[in-house]
Amino acid sequence: MNQNQTYAIPMNDPFGKATTGKLGMWLFIIVDGLSFAGLLIAGAALRAGGAEWPQAGEILSIPLTAFNTFLLICTSFTMVMALNTIQKGDQAGLKKFLGLTMAGGLGFLGIQIWEYYHFIMEGFVISTSVYASVFYVTTCFHGLHVTTGVIYIACILWAAVQGRYSADNWDHVEILGLFWHFVDLVWILVFTIIYLI
Amino acid sequence: MDDHKSIYFKNAIWLAILTILEVGIAYIDISRSGQIVLLLAFAATKMMLVAMIYMHLRYETRVLKWILFVPIPAGILFTVALMYDLPFRWVV
Repeated sequence: MNQNQTYAIPMNDPFGKATTGKLGMWLFIIVDGLSFAGLLIAGAALRAGGAEWPQAGEILSIPLTAFNTFLLICTSFTMVMALNTIQKGDQAGLKKFLGLTMAGGLGFLGIQIWEYYHFIMEGFVISTSVYASVFYVTTCFHGLHVTTGVIYIACILWAAVQGRYSADNWDHVEILGLFWHFVDLVWILVFTIIYLI
Repeated sequence: MDDHKSIYFKNAIWLAILTILEVGIAYIDISRSGQIVLLLAFAATKMMLVAMIYMHLRYETRVLKWILFVPIPAGILFTVALMYDLPFRWVV
């Protein structure tokens, strides 16, 4: 099969021009969003139920995580730029922005691992307290999403290197973008609830 | 810089500014409830900016927007209900 060949994508009328793949990703996002909501609500319930909870910044490093949040925001920008460039048929731009997004994602994970390493060395582990378990479970679940996102970007980047995407064929890039932006969107809430409140 | 690029860039700047303000709110000396309301309002604004601009939700149909936004009030309702239930959790 010619890799530059475009193919017809079925359209769903109530959803305008959204493709089936895109709708599938939106549905996944709803379900996944509810998983995060479950974790955050459980954390709030434990806190409201009287569990010991430190003040913001007492244990967790706010400046470091604020920088990590900024990094994730930057990757959302590079990801949307990847889509923007391929919609104009710029394959080099697509590869550049996907590469930058992947690098940003890896940077985010690196900082998170560094943060975990220092906490573990200081004795702040998952079994330390209710707060520690809420922190580790929620941030690890998000980190798993970032890891999945980085692998997903690598797959799309590989296809981009092979010249699979063009101005007429960028559906996969848009679907990847939805997932990556969702990861950013959820982090905004996790950062606020776990680190700042 | 074309229109879209400019919007995406401005959005990133706004998200960064809101993050800095959030961090500032966490440190300033105001009432706890005021702090929580402000932080959640800022987080909600940032999430809307990501969804509407980066995820292009503003260009999607009304049906899709409804499907996405209906679970939010449901989640808030369940959270509030759960909080009211907490004092009775050991009562059988």
